[in-house]
Amino acid sequence: MSAHAENLTHDDAHGHDGHGALAENNFLGLPNIKLAMWAFLGSECMFFGSLIGTYFFYHGNSLSGPLPKDVFSIGITSISTFLLLMSSVTMALAVDSMKQQKPSTARNFILATALLGATFVGFQVLEFHEFYTEKHLVFAGPNASLFGSTFYTMTGFHGTHVTVGVIWLVIMSILIQKKKLVPGKEAVNVEVMGLYWHFVDIVWIVIFTFVYLLEFLK
Amino acid sequence: MSNAFRSFRHRLTALAALALPLMLAACDEAHPRDAYAHPAGDASEISAWFYNLYLILDTIIFVGVVIAFFAAIIKFRKKPGDNTLPEQNWGDSRLEIAWTIVPTLVVLGITVPTLGGLFELAKRPDQNQKIIEIDVVGKQWWWELDYKKEGINTGNEMHVEVGTQVMLHLTSADVIHAWWVPRLSGKRDATPGRNYPLNFRPKEVGSFDGQCAELCGASHALMGIRIIVHPKDGPDSYESWVKHMQEGAAKAATPEQEAGQKVFMNKGCVACHTINGVAELAPGSRSRTSGPNLTHVGSRDFIAAHTLKNTPENIARWVKNPQEVKPGALMSNLGLSDQEAKDVAAFLSNLK
Amino acid sequence: MASIADFAAAQKPIYHQERPSKTGLLDWLTTVDHKKIGILYGGAGLFWLLVGGLEALLFRIQLAKPDQHIFVGDTFNGLVTMHATTMVFLAVMPMIAGFSNYFVPLMIGARDVAFPRMNAFSWWTFFAGSLTINASLLFCGAFPAAGWTGYAPLTTKDFGGTPIDFWWAGLTLLAVSSMVAGVNFVVTILNLRAPGMTLMRVPVLTWMMLVIQFLLAFSFPPVAVGLILLAFDRTFGTVFYSTGMGGDPHLWQHLFWLFGHPEVYVLILPSMGIVSEILPVFTRRPLFGHHAVIFSGVFIGFVGFGVWGHHMFTAGMGPIADAAFASTTAIVAIPTGVKIFNWLGTLWNSKMTFPTAMLFAVSFIPMFTLGGLSGMMHASPPLDLQQHDTYFVVAHFHYVLVGGALQGLFAGFYFYMPKISGKLLNETLGKIHFWVFLAGFNITFFPMHLLGNHGMPRRIYTYPADAGWNTENLIATSGVFLMTFATLTFVYNLITSLKNGKDAGSDPWDANTLEWMTSSPPPVHNFDFTPVVLSERPLWDHKYTPGFEIPVPEKAEEIHMPSPSWKPMWVSASAGVIIVGLLTFNGIAGIPGWPLCIVGAIGVVLSVYAWVTEPV
Repeated sequence: MSAHAENLTHDDAHGHDGHGALAENNFLGLPNIKLAMWAFLGSECMFFGSLIGTYFFYHGNSLSGPLPKDVFSIGITSISTFLLLMSSVTMALAVDSMKQQKPSTARNFILATALLGATFVGFQVLEFHEFYTEKHLVFAGPNASLFGSTFYTMTGFHGTHVTVGVIWLVIMSILIQKKKLVPGKEAVNVEVMGLYWHFVDIVWIVIFTFVYLLEFLK
Repeated sequence: MSNAFRSFRHRLTALAALALPLMLAACDEAHPRDAYAHPAGDASEISAWFYNLYLILDTIIFVGVVIAFFAAIIKFRKKPGDNTLPEQNWGDSRLEIAWTIVPTLVVLGITVPTLGGLFELAKRPDQNQKIIEIDVVGKQWWWELDYKKEGINTGNEMHVEVGTQVMLHLTSADVIHAWWVPRLSGKRDATPGRNYPLNFRPKEVGSFDGQCAELCGASHALMGIRIIVHPKDGPDSYESWVKHMQEGAAKAATPEQEAGQKVFMNKGCVACHTINGVAELAPGSRSRTSGPNLTHVGSRDFIAAHTLKNTPENIARWVKNPQEVKPGALMSNLGLSDQEAKDVAAFLSNLK
Repeated sequence: MASIADFAAAQKPIYHQERPSKTGLLDWLTTVDHKKIGILYGGAGLFWLLVGGLEALLFRIQLAKPDQHIFVGDTFNGLVTMHATTMVFLAVMPMIAGFSNYFVPLMIGARDVAFPRMNAFSWWTFFAGSLTINASLLFCGAFPAAGWTGYAPLTTKDFGGTPIDFWWAGLTLLAVSSMVAGVNFVVTILNLRAPGMTLMRVPVLTWMMLVIQFLLAFSFPPVAVGLILLAFDRTFGTVFYSTGMGGDPHLWQHLFWLFGHPEVYVLILPSMGIVSEILPVFTRRPLFGHHAVIFSGVFIGFVGFGVWGHHMFTAGMGPIADAAFASTTAIVAIPTGVKIFNWLGTLWNSKMTFPTAMLFAVSFIPMFTLGGLSGMMHASPPLDLQQHDTYFVVAHFHYVLVGGALQGLFAGFYFYMPKISGKLLNETLGKIHFWVFLAGFNITFFPMHLLGNHGMPRRIYTYPADAGWNTENLIATSGVFLMTFATLTFVYNLITSLKNGKDAGSDPWDANTLEWMTSSPPPVHNFDFTPVVLSERPLWDHKYTPGFEIPVPEKAEEIHMPSPSWKPMWVSASAGVIIVGLLTFNGIAGIPGWPLCIVGAIGVVLSVYAWVTEPV
């Protein structure tokens, strides 16, 4: 047997990851849920890639106005972008606090993240409202334009992702409050939430850079 | 040899015996739309050349694989009573390298000419020669053909000249269609909102049939095309066809035809159809649902886009109940009586 | 020589929490057991295989002779559309999901998948999607009729009827199901392998399943976006596919084929994996070039994302794009060739026996080769301009999907059913199934090559008698009856074997991999102890290679199996409510359906909350 012992690289890698998922074996030494989030984010990359790709495929195709330059206001969107970027900082602090066994600090940072995220969504609702009522950028119906349909769909799906994240953060803070989510093995759940949150942030940075800013580069 | 082997061989023989006569039977028919055996245009000649190249290559590979396959399954069967294990061979890296590199070379070897053929087909024709340019609009379920320079608007049956470059500009008024007359050229989508050229040079005189090749709704199957390739000279030349088409419509001559013209004018046909000099659609009233120009409809071989032979009986059947002939047809059922339908058929058949 | 009977002597594991092993209806509804979910998927796949086959039989009867009027116009188009949609999404994919669910955890020595409740969610969402697509027959009396490729603008409100709404709604649910399943199985295969099972010791079938899970997770989002845009167009009146507003029908084609081509490999790779598992067992030697077969499968998966444009050569992307896609597509021939040569290498110098499973597995090789070779023709744009959308293409993809994918799955059924049911399938019926199916399949699809060459486009409901297509069409239709007979024989065999089949024992084929070391059917916890993997063929080496016996631990293992749960079904049902809300968004008979979307969304949030707080 000893001749084959060297082939056995991972036979000691048993362990539970302790959050409901079944984990008799843990080959990569990485919690299942974290691996799953990475795979899911890969899938999400293709999703937002397709949406942003659609926007660029149709860029300049719109036969009726208004056009991007007529509606974008970089100043206000910069503020909401800044808030969303700040929420990534609070999210990172929440993950760190959870790792350092400080659940109540973590909960506060999670709530702060949720608040910043909700503010971002609020800004987006205001932006949509302004675009629709004052700048006549229409999503659907007889007055719709191609730019309106693609813009609202793309940013709307991003906003939906932020909203889902906010709901998730709120649920998580409740679970921490009720001590159903405790530091230690379960800290990984907060970390995974963080991965999602940072991803949604990055998608926004891509949209803000390529959709909003590039419009004014020329 | 074991029984198992014998029965196995018998089954294969039976299978071959079953398939062969069927395959042979298929050879009996004439194939008027075979692009590879009888290409009649320069574009389909290129396709046919590539077909033969790939067919030879594929046959060599397939025969090779099948010989190796049958050799293996006949030769390396377990003999009864032999319970020893075969050699436990995990593979051979020299072989792996060989059968990676050889296919790579083959793929390279055919991709280079393929790309050559692709760019050859995409080349813009020389603008200094005579070119017949035709705007083709796919519509549910017929083709509008517009010879802008010649001022001819017709449908479904395209007339061109042997040896003269043809350039089609394809678009669609509704959904995606695809223009395909196999013996003259490969197919090309007619996409709404886009406009693509399709170039070919016919090399044979005659009639060539084809049809829409992209699913476009209920009567996709009944969206035929005929291209008539005229000789350069003689009474049947392309030029004389153009001259004929540029003339106005024939006058109604018999009482029946005159009655038919009245029906045509009063029952609603004119809402969608133009007959030059008789009933012309107001500019701007043409829509995606308006029908073909009927000025010379009597001279066409078929009606309803290659669906029915052009006879008065068929025209009467078609105008009486279009949806019975073509499911979903956009031409309205105007509720014509048998007599009215007959009269319209007489009127239209006269429009040579 | 060690025997696998040793394993029976192992200590039964100690449950931390008893998982009920009832088999009542309640248990099937709440199960999170990968084996039961696998059976559900496989059973649904077989059911839809028969439905899809019936649809094909009906439209082949219409095409048997020229100028027939049995199924005309959109009735015919609906049959064609639903035949393809059913076969791809509701028959072959769930059968693959069935094998993947049942055997991946067994092959890697795991107790279940990584996320058992998510697995149940995938199944219920698939179930809802399959019903939704077909519900159009119930509510509209018609099938969606825009082809399985659903090219816009034929699917938009101007040209496509209400059945299209059921089509996008169902496909969206199937997309969600597949993406979730993809993520779940990627984690399962990467993380839940038994100790010692390095990637190169993972069985080839599991490897191919890993590749397709990546393809599912990454290729479904583009088509999901395409479907969402279509849904918005049809429901809210956005203008994505309306050319009058500057929209471009190419958008749908790009999004669809960016999914559609990887999807083709999703359908074929598992069958390649099954063949690669069966050949070594019945040749009694290892898979020749085992690593090359794995790497070529991975390579095919990667290249699959770069070839979608070869479906659009006639669409007019321009010669540069055409050239790029022609070149990438040609590359696919190389790894495919490597696989075929390695299978031939496995047969060479072996000692073959031919039970039905092996017959299907070996006949896969020449039939798939034929389909692959005609595929090479389509990679050449000058040639594809003639072949695109003709019966030649129909012949090509049926050789690949029936001669390839379906034959591989049939082989899988004969090979793996004994593990699932504990009973062997009847070999005589199996051989009738094989030979009649092989004959019927070739009689049906080989003449279609000729039809394509003779200029017959696909998806036409009728053709004139003088087009020269009469004989081949009649031959093709006659073959369908043989295939139908063969498939019914198979179903009969499957059902009767459950009762009358010979007992299989745990290892009826003297096989190589871990699933054969546990009982047939396996216990709820799969293995009494977690096996330690010492080689590529752990069970074979256990039996035949001294020194490689799988060690049986002396102490019983402590395990914890997740309890049954209603939550996955709740989430699926809530998602279904959102979809119904979208379908009826603008109201039926004056009652607006949009509030259902809000109800569904709240339902999703609440049931997810219940899910995450549920003790497992």
